[in-house]
Amino acid sequence: MASYDAVVIGAGHNSLVCAAYLARAGRKVLVVERRERIGGAAVTEEVFPGFRFSVFSYVVSLLRPEIIRELELPRHGLHILPLESTFTPLPDGNYLAQWNDHDQNRRELARHSLRDAEAYDEFGLMLHQMARAVKPLLAMAPPDPTSLSFGDLMGMKRLGEHFRGLGVKRFSMLTKLLTMSSADFLDEWFESEPLKATKSASGIIGTLLGPRSPGTAYVLLHHYMGELDGVFRAWGFAKGGNGSVTAAIAGAAQAAGAEIRTAAPVAQVLVKHGRARGVLLDDGEEIGAKLVVSGADPRRTFLGLVGEQHLPGPFVDSIRRFRFRGSSAKVNLALGELPDFAALPGRGPHLRGAVSISPSVDYLERAYDEAKYGEYSKRPYMDIVIPSLLDPQMAPPGKHVMSIFVQYAPYQLNGGWTDARREAFGDTVVDTLAQYAPNLKNAILHRQVVTPADIERIVGLSEGNIFQGELSLQQMFFLRPVPAWAKYRTPVSALWQCGAGTHPGGGVMGASGRNAAMQILGRS
Amino acid sequence: MSRTIVIGGGADALVAAQVLARGGHEVMVIESRAASAEEGWTPAKVLRALELEPVELQWPEPWLSAPLPAGGRLELWRDVARSVESIRCVSPKDAERWPEFCERMAKLARFLESVYSEAPPDPLSPRFALRARRLGRRGLEDLLRILPMPVAELLDDWFENDVLKGLLGAAGVQHIMQGPRSAGTAFRFLHHHVGSPTGVFRPPRSNVIELLRRLPRVELQNTEVLHIAVRAGSVVGVVLKDGRELDADIVVSSIEPRRTLVELVEPGWLDPELVRALRYVRRRGVAARIRLQLDRSPGFSALALAPSLDYLERAYDDAKHGRVSREPYLEATCDAQHRMEVLVQYVPYKQKAVSLEGRVLGVLGEHWGEARPTHTEFLSPRELEEFEGWPEGQPHHAELSLDQALWMRPLPELARYRAPLPGLWLCGPAMHPGAGIAGASGFHCAHAILGR
Repeated sequence: MASYDAVVIGAGHNSLVCAAYLARAGRKVLVVERRERIGGAAVTEEVFPGFRFSVFSYVVSLLRPEIIRELELPRHGLHILPLESTFTPLPDGNYLAQWNDHDQNRRELARHSLRDAEAYDEFGLMLHQMARAVKPLLAMAPPDPTSLSFGDLMGMKRLGEHFRGLGVKRFSMLTKLLTMSSADFLDEWFESEPLKATKSASGIIGTLLGPRSPGTAYVLLHHYMGELDGVFRAWGFAKGGNGSVTAAIAGAAQAAGAEIRTAAPVAQVLVKHGRARGVLLDDGEEIGAKLVVSGADPRRTFLGLVGEQHLPGPFVDSIRRFRFRGSSAKVNLALGELPDFAALPGRGPHLRGAVSISPSVDYLERAYDEAKYGEYSKRPYMDIVIPSLLDPQMAPPGKHVMSIFVQYAPYQLNGGWTDARREAFGDTVVDTLAQYAPNLKNAILHRQVVTPADIERIVGLSEGNIFQGELSLQQMFFLRPVPAWAKYRTPVSALWQCGAGTHPGGGVMGASGRNAAMQILGRS
Repeated sequence: MSRTIVIGGGADALVAAQVLARGGHEVMVIESRAASAEEGWTPAKVLRALELEPVELQWPEPWLSAPLPAGGRLELWRDVARSVESIRCVSPKDAERWPEFCERMAKLARFLESVYSEAPPDPLSPRFALRARRLGRRGLEDLLRILPMPVAELLDDWFENDVLKGLLGAAGVQHIMQGPRSAGTAFRFLHHHVGSPTGVFRPPRSNVIELLRRLPRVELQNTEVLHIAVRAGSVVGVVLKDGRELDADIVVSSIEPRRTLVELVEPGWLDPELVRALRYVRRRGVAARIRLQLDRSPGFSALALAPSLDYLERAYDDAKHGRVSREPYLEATCDAQHRMEVLVQYVPYKQKAVSLEGRVLGVLGEHWGEARPTHTEFLSPRELEEFEGWPEGQPHHAELSLDQALWMRPLPELARYRAPLPGLWLCGPAMHPGAGIAGASGFHCAHAILGR
């Protein structure tokens, strides 16, 4: 029985980040991955000959700059190409574009509403301040307000001081962001429907909530947290697709001495006398380790790999209550030519950014209504990018790949997801988009549809939730994944969790993996 | 001795007037309409300070019932064991969980009661943290987890029966433009539990307002304030509709803050940023009210028609898109004289709601047997605004959502009852704790004025 200091389950970005930090601290680390390839949901696959896709996650927005720096990711091949615009075509033939260039953006907004153009800078500044207020929390193991331990009390005190330091105005703004709906929040700033809708769309990603549901305003912040570290251009595409992000992290981990084994599915975590001793692989091989770190989501880790018998009853209840409710799907298209949008014809710079199908808040809300009752949206929200325009290696010359993030496609579909439903859903997506880009249907060479059920089956994310559990207020910070176990530890000693199901979770951020490693290494 | 004018005749205004009179102010209350009996609990502290007695809090018995699809009714009683018996008929599992659920929720409601008995807490103060800690580990976890939750998730965690969940979930959405799947509705569920005994999730009807009106020391004037007079940046009195001017050192308004500050105060005295923020205080009325007199007992004391959480959610969907709910949530209470009051939700403010009354009476008629209405009165949110003075028909004046609660109610800069004009103070449903907690905001406001 081979023995390691730490065995890390799964080779998603958080697992790899955690493994890299542990290896750099001199630990003997093994990463075991169920699939043939590393990357988890951040993978690049040649789905159709010559066409390479970031099959699941498709942009880099939140990867923590300290991770990029400390793991020297650019040296291991990370290269991020900035996203320059967001283009929202409208059904009436008009469009709204948001540009990185300040003056150009202002002119465009003024075309829709002078007031919005005026408010835009102030709004950006406010969110920037809010992002700054939240940023220190991302790198922290959340203190438990219910605990009386010295560490937790000090943590709460520091947190209190941090919030107090913001001043009343900013603290109330932060409270509003945490508790309001993105639609209500944006109503206070803007009047133009497509602007409000496109901005509020970032508040609904990955959740089964509509833009008018309280709690969605907070996620608006995430976008600005990406932009905050502008020096690193942390908002954009990874050259080579999102697989190159995880490849870079894996490179850093391996350079520090970590081993990575693929096609090595873990059957269970070995627990003896309340302590994790290693893992048992599907093929019967046992790997001993002083500690086990799971990058799998909480349900899979505790109810699947560890088993209820090793866990306290109330903890198991809390894990069962942890909500996943995957609501997002992907449609990946191989195109013979670029889409031609009726609202802005030709191959303009708008194709090099994101294209957002979000004409109005009402449109998004209606899309949600259907999902609430177990149907996929007949007119869904979409966030579209064409990576081959920025990185020609993604598609054969003259051809393109298009990545369409779609919401809502509920995991709990009435009658369940079948092959026929999947394709019908794919047709809905293409039909909807073709209303804005009439040449689309003829341009499609191949189509891949990935439903939440597919995400669960292929990547192992429960219910296909892209954040390893909904990012709702009652599942955040010291409540993620469950109260009293939010600091990466678990009720099983020597078993740790490092996935997005822990604080701060969500997006290709890596913070969970790094925070877990810091806790394991006793640095916080 | 300060001359003080209190505008409005609700419990908050009367409590503020009484406390100030006892604090040495010469107080006059100006009410434009006699406040109708209010629902809600009043903190013991307020009752003690004003020696109000005997206070009678009343709940129907059973406090709520709901028709079951297979016939018969699910009945919830003050007696937890009796409710268990009734729930057992629809779900033995839910019946078994009921006592623990009631006990856990009551603990949180008791905590809210203590918070409501004082001016809004400073969330970052160690004092508030210590108080919250007294809930114990599980209580504190429950509190922090439940406050931001959708009431639907809270109930799904505990129960399986649709009728039970619908009936409880309705408490989370009463008078708010949200559905049971919206975050923060679990907080409202708890809010409506405040002041009620364990196992009762509807606010009581109280006689506090009658007791208040009987107290001496305060002059009551039945007229209307046209505007609040300001000179050199300070409040100097009020101008009445009949043209009379009354001088005062202090004016306390229990009228909704937007109306008080933007309409009653002459424009120009306030920071435009505050005026802008006030415009965004949400106060959407969502319910119509029907009052009717029946010729005999309808056979129930309180009946809710909200057969499932999905039913409530669909009713909300209509309102969200600007329509009256095709199948509204109805809640009817009936007293011993067969006077019935029916809450009809959702009816958006802007909607005319034609033919709604007939439809509602038709639906209710299926449940009240031989009884016949001899008199009916239907008020849409727009009419409630006119007759009750509720802005947009919203009885809470400012929607009670998490971002408009506690130290954020109705806005962080106004939450301490002091308006940014020397001499002007605010109380009423829009101020903490407001929204159905009778008299508390008036009490806290008066204490702030007296510097206590």
